[in-house]
Amino acid sequence: MKLIKSIVRPNKVDEVKDALEKLGISGMTVTEVRGHGQQKGHTAIYRGKEYNVSLLPKMQIEVVVSDSIVDDAIKAIVQSAKTGEIGDGRVFVLPVEQTYKIRTGEKDAM
Amino acid sequence: MYRTGLLPSIGDYRPMPDPAGTDPGSLNQPPASAVGLPVQLEEARRELRDEILRGHGGRGALARFSDRLDAIVRQIVAAAPHVPQPVAPMAVVAIGGYGRRQLCLHSDIDLLVLFGGRLGDAEEKVLRAILHPLWDLGLAVGHQVREIEEFGRLEVDNPEFLMALVDARPIAGDRGLFDRFESAFHHAGTHAHVVGALNALIDERYALFNSTLYQLEPDVKESPGALRDLTATRWIAALTDPSLLRRGVEDPSKIEEAEDFLLRVRSILHLESKRNHNQLTHPLQENAADILGYPGAFPQQRVERLMSDYFRHARVVMRSLAWMRKVAPTPAGLNLGRASDGILFIDVRQAAVQPATWLAAFQAAIDANCPVSDPALAVIRQYTERFRVEDFFPTPAHRAALLRFLKPAPGLYARLSEMHDCGLLGRMFPPFQAITYRVVRDFFHKYTVDEHTLLTIRNLERLGTGAAPDRQRFSSLLKDLEAPELLVLSLLLHDVGKWRDDDHHLESVRMAREMFGRIGLPQEARDTVEFLIANHLAMSQVAFRRDTEDPDIVRKFAELVGVEERLKMLCLMTLADVEAVSLETLTPWRAELLWRLFVDTYNHLTIGYGDERIEGDLPGNAELLTNRPADLSDADITRFLEGLPRRYLQLFDRDAIYRHVRLARDIRPDEVHLWLEQKGTAWELTVVTLDKPFLFSNISGVLSSFGMDILRGHALTNPNGLVLDVFQFTDQERFLELNAGAREQMFTVLNDVVSARETVTERLRGRARSLFHQRPLRVTPVVHCDNSSSKRYTILDIIADDEFGLLYRISRVMSQNGCDVDLVLIATEGHRAIDVFHITKAGRKLSEPDQLELAAHLQRMLEGGYEAD
Repeated sequence: MKLIKSIVRPNKVDEVKDALEKLGISGMTVTEVRGHGQQKGHTAIYRGKEYNVSLLPKMQIEVVVSDSIVDDAIKAIVQSAKTGEIGDGRVFVLPVEQTYKIRTGEKDAM
Repeated sequence: MYRTGLLPSIGDYRPMPDPAGTDPGSLNQPPASAVGLPVQLEEARRELRDEILRGHGGRGALARFSDRLDAIVRQIVAAAPHVPQPVAPMAVVAIGGYGRRQLCLHSDIDLLVLFGGRLGDAEEKVLRAILHPLWDLGLAVGHQVREIEEFGRLEVDNPEFLMALVDARPIAGDRGLFDRFESAFHHAGTHAHVVGALNALIDERYALFNSTLYQLEPDVKESPGALRDLTATRWIAALTDPSLLRRGVEDPSKIEEAEDFLLRVRSILHLESKRNHNQLTHPLQENAADILGYPGAFPQQRVERLMSDYFRHARVVMRSLAWMRKVAPTPAGLNLGRASDGILFIDVRQAAVQPATWLAAFQAAIDANCPVSDPALAVIRQYTERFRVEDFFPTPAHRAALLRFLKPAPGLYARLSEMHDCGLLGRMFPPFQAITYRVVRDFFHKYTVDEHTLLTIRNLERLGTGAAPDRQRFSSLLKDLEAPELLVLSLLLHDVGKWRDDDHHLESVRMAREMFGRIGLPQEARDTVEFLIANHLAMSQVAFRRDTEDPDIVRKFAELVGVEERLKMLCLMTLADVEAVSLETLTPWRAELLWRLFVDTYNHLTIGYGDERIEGDLPGNAELLTNRPADLSDADITRFLEGLPRRYLQLFDRDAIYRHVRLARDIRPDEVHLWLEQKGTAWELTVVTLDKPFLFSNISGVLSSFGMDILRGHALTNPNGLVLDVFQFTDQERFLELNAGAREQMFTVLNDVVSARETVTERLRGRARSLFHQRPLRVTPVVHCDNSSSKRYTILDIIADDEFGLLYRISRVMSQNGCDVDLVLIATEGHRAIDVFHITKAGRKLSEPDQLELAAHLQRMLEGGYEAD
């Protein structure tokens, strides 16, 4: 089982969500985040004054999927979040050791 | 209720009848008299002395004495026209104790001589012709001379004079002028100030007497419980709520009795001391007791009875004043007062049938930063169902008051909530009634639609007052808005369509349109409100759901909003709307996205519009051609529009565009075609001509030479060299308003300067001091050159102190650097001028060295170290 953490453009969330749902992945956590990667922000001008926009608004989507569909899920995310321009985001894949249901305390089968 | 200049003539206080009358026809008519003035005065004094000695020198005797003096003054005024007539109308007005018709034997004669125009030699001669005879009669005259215009501002440093004016009574002269004085003097602001000053003076006076009425040798005028207290009691009632005199802690007849007693005693003091002496000393107590006929075998017994009566009456007066000071509301408007629990109606019965006055109660509450009182809300709640929208806004003044009320201000949300709670908001705005308690279930909204709507206004209000650090950038937008009340009106109506379940923004627009006519909204304002309501979801959809780094997305959004003002309004509307959904909806993340879209769109509108020109067929063109007036051909319109920035079609309505086409038709070199019209408090000048060097600076220089302060405007140039400049400016010296032929004079000068028959430098010489005077900088000047945002132009952003002649100086420096000014956006926000110039040099963008040189020259000029010649 893997945790897939994706950082995507804010306007791409719905497309990523739809793509994941097509794979049967419906449970997810979506968080508003700000940061920069390779994009490193840019200089903006407002009324003649320049200022640096270093932390850019992004959305973080987290899903936990079984090992068997990790590759499909990554592919779906990349395809749906891609514009081809700098700033499209990143996908991180992390191993998940155990999961528990809080309501029952029951440990999920891995 | 406040329009009475005399003390209230209601049952509990009855001024003595005025046998001379004060109707306009009688003011200047002296009573027929066969004897001279000194004899008349002596007769009047003898009569009063006789009355005093009989113990009857009270209200009636003093009123009769005042009338005799009135007759003397009228004769003197009637005689005054023997000197040259004054140009201005004049009125002689009794004020203070004389105005109250309580003139004692040796009191000063307090007069206000009022002129309807400027005081000149003729007026001074008339003044002397009135005052000299009074002085010759040996009267002590306390005179004040004023021009009527002086009552346009409150003499806050002269509270005693203001109080004396409360008792103003016309004696002679122009009654119409006196009426003008009353209109100028009697309004809530003056009344509130006078009551405040009066309370302060009472405290000071009490301190002199250790705040006790039980003085062994009291001053019958000044002591606590004496005549000044009585006058103060009546003044407060007259200036706040006259009905308080009926409802006081003391029976009105007891107050009248006390007044008569105190006046009788005072008259004796004047008679016995032969001067304006008011202290009831031990020796004078004996005299007074004898004259007033107090029984007793010994003087001490008679005095004790006199003083016992004195203290009894003084206690009545002092208690009355204390109660009056405690309960009297502070004047807050017509039929409105401010008490400890908020704004109240002075006359509830009157308020109940005058719904047009209700909004003023809520405005007064905002102005005073207090609530509307529960009793006032109860009246509105009880009667509001009886009235229609039109009853609340029957006149243009009422409709203007509504827009003023909707300006974002501390307390607006609270007042609107009060209006909603008592049912008034739904009666004033029937569409709002449709969403009262309306529940729309969705994933985000946490409140009913009506409360969500009011919360949007609260969010806007908070932006205007101490916004959190992360909101200050939005707060600055709010401060810059020309008509923030339209934004509030849009917010108030933006969700009314949610009474239905589908496409609420379209339904909201339909319902809002129904309101526009009923509240008399001007067409331009209607367009703005309709746009905001129709598109209130657009900016959040683009900011949060679209890729705003795509220039095409920004361009399309910029096309939707069209101009900066609408962009600012829509941005603020979106912020306020999102924040009112729930406590968690407007995250810093969303605020950031919204701001970025704002900045990108703003930049597109101000620095990116130069490359988007009107070419070929645009939807806007077709509409213009279809609706064109008969005197214009398709070719006229097409030729004019071709090559202008597309932004032009969004800046001006059809009528303005047709006017521009007419001005541009058949124009020849050196000709200037002009159009000038007043727009609210500003003027708008349209200039159409053909381009030439220094043109923009010459035109702005001419406006400065006439003292005009340019606020905003646009300068547009098409590739054929046709120039269209539109300037909005204020005329603080009222040159255009006050001078016949001013408009023609300005046009002539513009023609002469543009065609080089006159130089603007020469014209500006007279104003050189203010133009080039170096003042401390309030805004650090910003000069920013941008060669990348436009294919055709170098763009120059300039932010600087909004100073007289600034635009002339900036554009002159540009022209002196060999630059052509092609497009200009002129804006003023507070004391900042924000100008964006699209410039070229020899038809191209500026080179790097040219940019640096120009920026350095401009920077130096803006910092005060450079003078244009």
